[in-house]
Amino acid sequence: MAPVIVDGGKGSVELDDGGYVHLRWLPKVDIQVEDARAAMATVNDVCQDQPHPMLVDMASVASVSREARAIWSIPCSASRIALLGRSPVDRVLANFFLGVHIPPCPTRFFTSRDDALAWLNTGQAGLTA
Amino acid sequence: MSPDGETADPRLQELVEGIVRLAAGDLEARLVASEDGDEIDAVITGINLLAEELGHIHAELEERVAARTAMLRRTQVELELMAKTDALTGLANRHLLSERIRDAIAAASDAARVPAVLVLDLDSFKAINDTLGHSAGDAVLVEVSRRLLSVVRAEDTVARLGGDEFAVLIDGATEEETLAIAQRARDALQESVKIGTETVWTTASIGVCIQRPGYSPEDLIRDADIAMYQAKSEGRNKVRRFHPDMLDAVLERSRITSELRSAAAGGELALLYQPVVELATGRIAGVEALVRWHHPVHGTIMPDLFIGIAEETGLILELGRWVLQEGIAQLGRWKAEAPELADFGLHVNLSAAELLRSDLVDEVRETLARHGVEPRRLVLEITETVLMSRGAGEEQILHRLRDLGVGLQIDDFGTGYSSISYLRSLPADTVKVDQSLIRNLESDPRQHKFVAAVLQLISAAELNAIVEGIETEGQSSRLQAMGCQYGQGYLYGRPVDAAQVLERLRGAVQPR
Repeated sequence: MAPVIVDGGKGSVELDDGGYVHLRWLPKVDIQVEDARAAMATVNDVCQDQPHPMLVDMASVASVSREARAIWSIPCSASRIALLGRSPVDRVLANFFLGVHIPPCPTRFFTSRDDALAWLNTGQAGLTA
Repeated sequence: MSPDGETADPRLQELVEGIVRLAAGDLEARLVASEDGDEIDAVITGINLLAEELGHIHAELEERVAARTAMLRRTQVELELMAKTDALTGLANRHLLSERIRDAIAAASDAARVPAVLVLDLDSFKAINDTLGHSAGDAVLVEVSRRLLSVVRAEDTVARLGGDEFAVLIDGATEEETLAIAQRARDALQESVKIGTETVWTTASIGVCIQRPGYSPEDLIRDADIAMYQAKSEGRNKVRRFHPDMLDAVLERSRITSELRSAAAGGELALLYQPVVELATGRIAGVEALVRWHHPVHGTIMPDLFIGIAEETGLILELGRWVLQEGIAQLGRWKAEAPELADFGLHVNLSAAELLRSDLVDEVRETLARHGVEPRRLVLEITETVLMSRGAGEEQILHRLRDLGVGLQIDDFGTGYSSISYLRSLPADTVKVDQSLIRNLESDPRQHKFVAAVLQLISAAELNAIVEGIETEGQSSRLQAMGCQYGQGYLYGRPVDAAQVLERLRGAVQPR
């Protein structure tokens, strides 16, 4: 399916053929609470409220506000979340999200897409097992 | 420049500056990361995020402190309100009233408009509580508060001092205005109060004290209280303004109270005995013990001057005990001195408070036994008002007294508000008809008919009748003709001391 643009235009959501939902944030964006809320709504729409593993591409995101991070503490259709970044800045941002808020599902930060997908798939296998 | 001479990354210097600002307490300080996204940018991002968290925690802490402070303040206000108001009515309590009076005295600048205090005491509240229960009593108190609030001005304070006693601070008014408010309060309270299906009436006695130079709040309340007692003693449902003469009366009462306390121990009390005569034969059927106080300074004081005070102060229990002990002891002495006079009884008055004494029956039994007196020779006189309003406790004591064999007599019949149907159910053997009923017996045919009917009623209830206050032969013969068995009054003898009683008894049993 074609990617669905998140309201506000700072990212897109797509249901990948591999069975995971893919949220891509554009580089250099400042993610505010309304962006996070819109992204979550889009994820829920795309998943049609069925649980799916989710890959969040957050490489080169400029900043994520405290309130926006808090949104991801609300349970959504994501059954586990792999945060994918590249730079040390991404790692810091991801770990603040993981450390300060309690995610509603297993969540980890990766710098390797393959590792991230492998971890998501493990979970998916577990789900279907 | 770095110490080794290489050009340092300018972001490091910015980092140092940023940390210094944050350390100085500027939690809004933020650093700008470059687009490199390298380790230095990661540190910058991390510091920004930490500063944001710190700011958030700080704000949250301040918010909590503010919320807790506000809560404490609210609680303090509530506690202050609770400490100053009456829980049942929501009116001010004595503490708050005193505060308001103090403020009113301090603020009074116009000599023609000074603060005044009313003290109000409900006249028949105890009866409501006793007959309808405490929740009905509480409802009456709430209604009284509502009515009082409706007759005062916005600047006045209505307070409940406790029990059925209320007070009003009139915050600056002329004497006329103050008395008008007091009258309005009296009028408002004498209207009936509906409690469920019952309708009750509760009037108030009101004392008024108007501020005088140098008066403290306590002085004002005290003098209004004295005036209230005056209003009560003048027949209730009245408004009385304080006058210094009233203070003399209070001091007199206080003196009597203190002296009465030691009167029995000091041998100042004595019993006189008035004969109760069988009208048909002239035989002395018994004597009524009447207490006298031989005061070392004021001479002989009659009971009507101290019994009321004794009842109010609780001294009546001591006094009653003394009368009972002394009367029975005397009966024992008479019995020893004149064993042939075995057929006359001793009448002793019993007050309402004594009837509540849990040890009364035991004491009567032991005292009779100690002096070798048969219980049937003791007759306890209880006023009809006490009998009518008796509770379960008093009822039980009356039955135990009867079981003991002691006679019970209804005193002052015709002065209270007894229901005729009650006459049959009262635990008594004899009824003493009040002297007021026979006052015009000889001159008023209607009174004659009325007394005859009363005596018939008593007879129909299978009780014996004693009429007191018989002063003339005419009254005596008429009462005899109506079937009255016993009489008491000056015609048969004034109260005399114990020695004279025996002489009288021996004289009376001599054949005519």
